[in-house]
Amino acid sequence: MSHFLDRLNFFKKVTDTFSGDHGIVTNEDRGWEDAYRARWQHDKVVRSTHGVNCTGSCSWKIYVKNGLVTWETQQTDYPRTRDDLPNHEPRGCPRGASYSWYLYSANRVKYPLVRGRLLKLWRAALAEKKDPVDAWASIVEDPTKASEYKTQRGLGGFVRATWEEVNPLIAAANVYTTKKYGPDRIYGFSPIPAMSMVSYAAGSRYLSLIGGACGSFYDWYCDLPPASPMVWGEQTDVPESADWYNSSFLMMWGSNVPQTRTPDAHFMTEVRYKGTKIVTVCPDYSEASKFADIWLHPKQGTDAAVAMAMGHVILREFYLDGKSEYFTEYVRTKTDFPMLVRLDQRADGNYVNGRFLRASDLADSAGQANNPDWKTLAFDEKSGHLIVPNGSIGFRWGEKDGMVGKWNLEAKESLSGAETQLRLSVNDIKDEVAPVAFPYFGSTKHPHFACTEHDAIQVRNVPVKKIKLADGSEALVATVYDLTLVQYGLDRGLGGANVAKTYDDNVPYTPAWQEKVTGVPRAQIITVARQFAENADKTHGKSMVIIGAAMNHWYHMDMNYRGVINLLMMCGCVGQSGGGWSHYVGQEKLRPQTGWTALAFALDWHRPPRHMNSTSFWYIHTSQWRHEKLTMREILSPLADLQQWQGSQIDYNVRSARMGWLPTAPHFNANPLEITKAAAAAGEEPAPHIVKKLKAGKLGFAFEDPDNPVNFPRNLFVWRSNLLGSSGKGHEYFLKYLLGTTHGVQGKDLGEEGGEKPSEVQWREAAQGKLDLLVTLDFRMSTTCMYSDIVLPTATWYEKNDLNTSDMHPFIHPLSAAVDPAWESRTDWDIFKGLAKAFSETCPGHLGVEKDIVALPTLHDTPNELAMPDVKDWKKGECDLIPGKTAPSLVVVERDYPSTYKKFTSVGPLLDKLGNGGKGIGWNTEHEVEALAALNYTVLEEGVSKGRPRIDSDIDAAEMIMMLAPETNGHVAVKAWAALSKITGRDHSHLALPKEHEKIRFRDIVAQPRKIISSPTWSGLEDEKVSYNAGYTNVHELIPWRTVTGRQQFYQDHAWMLGFGEALCAYRPPVDMKTVEPIIGQKPNGNKEIVLNFITPHQKWGIHSTYTDNLLMLTLSRGGPIIWMSEVDAKKAGIEDNDWIEAYNINGAIAARAVVSQRVPEGMSMMYHAQEKIVNTPGSEITGTRGGIHNSVTRTVLKPTHMIGSYAQQSYGFNYYGTVGCNRDEFIIVRKMAKIDWLDDEPSAEAETVSATSTPVEAH
Amino acid sequence: MKTLKVLSALLCYPQPEIQAALPEMAEALAQEAVLPETERAALQALIQRLARTELMEWQEQYVATFDRGRALSLHLFEHIHGESRDRGQAMVNLLEVYRKHGFELDARELPDYLPLFLEYLAQRPTEEALELLAEIAHVITLLGARLAKRNNDYHVLFDALTALVGESEDSADIRQQAATEGPDQAIVNMDKIWEEEVVTFLGNQEGCATGGKPSTVQPVQWLPRSGATPHAARSL
Repeated sequence: MSHFLDRLNFFKKVTDTFSGDHGIVTNEDRGWEDAYRARWQHDKVVRSTHGVNCTGSCSWKIYVKNGLVTWETQQTDYPRTRDDLPNHEPRGCPRGASYSWYLYSANRVKYPLVRGRLLKLWRAALAEKKDPVDAWASIVEDPTKASEYKTQRGLGGFVRATWEEVNPLIAAANVYTTKKYGPDRIYGFSPIPAMSMVSYAAGSRYLSLIGGACGSFYDWYCDLPPASPMVWGEQTDVPESADWYNSSFLMMWGSNVPQTRTPDAHFMTEVRYKGTKIVTVCPDYSEASKFADIWLHPKQGTDAAVAMAMGHVILREFYLDGKSEYFTEYVRTKTDFPMLVRLDQRADGNYVNGRFLRASDLADSAGQANNPDWKTLAFDEKSGHLIVPNGSIGFRWGEKDGMVGKWNLEAKESLSGAETQLRLSVNDIKDEVAPVAFPYFGSTKHPHFACTEHDAIQVRNVPVKKIKLADGSEALVATVYDLTLVQYGLDRGLGGANVAKTYDDNVPYTPAWQEKVTGVPRAQIITVARQFAENADKTHGKSMVIIGAAMNHWYHMDMNYRGVINLLMMCGCVGQSGGGWSHYVGQEKLRPQTGWTALAFALDWHRPPRHMNSTSFWYIHTSQWRHEKLTMREILSPLADLQQWQGSQIDYNVRSARMGWLPTAPHFNANPLEITKAAAAAGEEPAPHIVKKLKAGKLGFAFEDPDNPVNFPRNLFVWRSNLLGSSGKGHEYFLKYLLGTTHGVQGKDLGEEGGEKPSEVQWREAAQGKLDLLVTLDFRMSTTCMYSDIVLPTATWYEKNDLNTSDMHPFIHPLSAAVDPAWESRTDWDIFKGLAKAFSETCPGHLGVEKDIVALPTLHDTPNELAMPDVKDWKKGECDLIPGKTAPSLVVVERDYPSTYKKFTSVGPLLDKLGNGGKGIGWNTEHEVEALAALNYTVLEEGVSKGRPRIDSDIDAAEMIMMLAPETNGHVAVKAWAALSKITGRDHSHLALPKEHEKIRFRDIVAQPRKIISSPTWSGLEDEKVSYNAGYTNVHELIPWRTVTGRQQFYQDHAWMLGFGEALCAYRPPVDMKTVEPIIGQKPNGNKEIVLNFITPHQKWGIHSTYTDNLLMLTLSRGGPIIWMSEVDAKKAGIEDNDWIEAYNINGAIAARAVVSQRVPEGMSMMYHAQEKIVNTPGSEITGTRGGIHNSVTRTVLKPTHMIGSYAQQSYGFNYYGTVGCNRDEFIIVRKMAKIDWLDDEPSAEAETVSATSTPVEAH
Repeated sequence: MKTLKVLSALLCYPQPEIQAALPEMAEALAQEAVLPETERAALQALIQRLARTELMEWQEQYVATFDRGRALSLHLFEHIHGESRDRGQAMVNLLEVYRKHGFELDARELPDYLPLFLEYLAQRPTEEALELLAEIAHVITLLGARLAKRNNDYHVLFDALTALVGESEDSADIRQQAATEGPDQAIVNMDKIWEEEVVTFLGNQEGCATGGKPSTVQPVQWLPRSGATPHAARSL
């Protein structure tokens, strides 16, 4: 087209042009530009972050204008770390960037909310009784009244209330529960303190002061890998993400780094330009898979088979046929490979590996007077003798005089101090070759997983030595190394069956063997294993595995994890910069830990606090045990004597608890406050009184009778958590039994079914609605809030002051209040402070100074961790009941209840008297308390807290944490290292001396994120030379791992580990949950049903820095619950992408949309976890109620090996060890929905006003 | 205009003093008589019913209606800016308007809370108040239609507001939308809402709309628009 007609022939425009006609001068009004100028104006920028549960821990700028938050951008002022490393900044992801939406969103909880029915009952009762405690009693003890509000949970009916009204109500419930049933009937659940540690501490401090139990979270989320304590005696100590950049062979194994570790993923992508090879192991074509040079995609749940086959290759090529000097020296000095294991003879003449050879087995305890049961032995190549080397856990506790300071990894004989070289294999000096039987689980039949045809008992030849024992008898011993070689199926020329000469042999754990189990071609296994080891050999350990919780969510997670960890140990990667085990899930390192524990658990006022492992707690109190289908016979070792291993999961838990291994909440079937009174009345001390009664059977553990009303958990606080919308495995069981409301449970319990009932537990009619009061603190109306009796509005992350750290980077930085909490919301600190006040005011007439008794399990990192070298159950008459030895410790704690508020708001005197510490070391802390008094001022009011340092505000609390922690106070760091030096006999203080005068305060981190100071709480260093890497100080400072041998352990010798066949790593197929058969085909809707494995990974649009109700993120996805499935399966079931489908089994049902994708392998489905059922979820055709959350189709199952205690590294610790809530062995039935019912048109209660009470949890 | 103050009070969270003031409100409405007969009668009937309703029941209804979710949020910008970043700035601007006319926010509320906005309007000259109210007519129609669809008699209040400013041009479309949408149109119809307009080269006179929403709710511009200065901007 020509522009002839547009051209002016006679005129020229008045406007001028410039720049050779490229610009035109105009005279228009430019006022509109002001809008753009004003758009980015702001009054101030405040530093904060996003604290759901995100390891990212990114510092953000929050822009405030006229007292309103307007937007946020990433901070870019991180201090530089080391030369040659890429910057940490800018950090952030779209989830965090969308956070300010929450502040003013319609989903914000703006006022304290109470269910109208409850409030009505409360007001009436209060008017009648006057006293709030009596009023509460009159409601909960009246079954009609109690059920009136309990059955309405989740069905709406909230009204707004004032703080002045709800605080006394909650206080009355707490006081009544404490008085009537015991303080251990009050439970608190809040996860991942590292993300906002003051907010966590607010609730846990309140609970710890009144004697409530704080529940663990890491194990319950199943992100806690029990393999970590088993191998290292440490929980999730990992390299910082910058250390990925030091690696030259990087594996992402079940970890979707670019999606779930967004701000750190760049270290992985950048290091590829240095030539680092990337291998991804992941069953689906995930985001991480795209970055791989090699992508291995084994069938989900079979990772241990891959790891075992890789180990087979590495042992063959770098230990037997080839050698690596570096590997040999590393495993000799840093692992239990040289340690000797006893072999016990079986009736059939074969041997079976037993426990470690102990000094106590030998004449005169091999010269070891102290803890001879806890000192392991090896052969010394230099002297040729059998010796007790330094470092085993017996040296850690109770040594005197010349034996102090032998708890280290120096290559020395412990008595003489002679230099040693421990013998890895006894093959060269063997007395004979013995046939040893090993359990093999890969032949177990499973409807959906391949099995092989090999015998369940594999007898293989092992070189052994004969040893004379103290009683004069002879015993056979083998080294862990020799046992490991045969366990991995390697033929080393000793004859016998079940070992492989080549990789192609069809013998367990060869690359050929694993093909059938995993589907991965053997050549890929050989290549990856060989290159992984070759790289580690050449670089001295710079091969790294970034591992995701995915593999930890299987019932046999320990095999997956130990399989991988074994590879890292074999190749000397742990504790070496650029190498090791990188598991970044769920716990998120709370770096100033020892400063925080004092605040959080009120250790400044009372010790010990009540801690409970949540998995066992929920399993028992939500009555999931009543529906148990997985018997322990199914998972025992084929070598175990069935007669000795009777019972179900809850039976094992009950035994564990009574032997003092796992904690209990509640403790006993009586109120602990009453027990101490009864003891006093009988003229006895409380502990012996309890022992007497327990032995006589007059007092029992609460877990032995969970359906008895005296044992119910009565009050529950949930804060910083979405327990019922996210982590609550067995969601429908929570609703049915704990809350007593509408639920979707489809299956029958063992009573109705006539199943095998537990033997240690009283079977009664099932109790429903055990909980009297559920209080949730949140800033958004989550699924948990919908089910709560009271919802308290909290400040968002832009409205409070708090601290934030992560394991991904070495910085500590704050959340700080950009604006005041909106509407009636308050910070968590202020909320619990207010509750403490109301509680104190409610006490008179009901609670005074009371004696409470805490039943404390034997804890890791305390001398009690050596309590039980051999398993003995007092109840079976195998030993006497000795608290702290064969049963829980019984510790009296005096609680001055009316002074709870005074204690909450001041630093207590126990810190001056007992000092502070953690992980087995302690130090004096008087100076720090003095400094806190100067910084925070002291309490002037009369009472228990007069003259003590104040902790009024959240900033005061933050200062307490940072003052007391070695990571943020150089003086404390020096003291802590000095304390450790005494036990190891080696001077470590040089690690902190250069930073002795550094003290990080709250205002410092508000100005800029600060690097933390190296501390013995952690096993890595934070300095100018190396990136933080776990195990670094073990390898380079020769500090022992906190295990039996003091070394990293390939071998686990506890009797229960042997019984369940996991002394050595093995492949164990997923367990059969039996949840599909009873219901498939039973409730037809005309559409085809298919059965799929149910996997619940992290999503792109929620976790970790926001939730799944954030509209911005929902908009980027499908806007509601979705389940991914493969094209093949979709075709089979006639499902098309975006169809509404239902997923169900006997646990319950979910309604969601289908995402049909090539990403997903056949037979598997994926539902991103923590999708809210309050967002766009229709009704279920199966249950008739609203479709559930991902946990509606799960039920938790426990594993006895996680209940082990009183055994060095396998001793209880809060979020350290314990049962875990796995859920990936679950299968679901999937079918297309026939009718989509939004349940919105329920008839209203009255014609003239619409009542919310008849509407189930509303979608909106 | 007292009627606006009455509507503001009725849209507040029910409190004893509000319930006690119901007769006073009824009287004020009758006296001022700015509402058309039908709407006034409906409003009076509602007031009668609320006077008979037990307070806590009324409160439950209020929380269930307005405190849950965005569809019936009483925060105007939820419907105008939604999740957009403009929302913070829009609130800042609105606060500025209040201040300019001598009103300082004295409650723990956001400036775009409808009862709060109505209270402000009640203090302004009638003509100006109605002009400002007209700016949010779409939101009022939409909320009223959604309430009507749910058989929630709070819709009477919105009908009254609509009567004051007259029907907006596209009110029929809005009603149609409210009648046909799912539980939350923004989520259920997300694909449709966010679908990019098909680009037809040369054939598309208006050019390519990025992120164009065929939604009938047109964002009310409370910022000066480019070019012409609309009356709203003048009065703000």
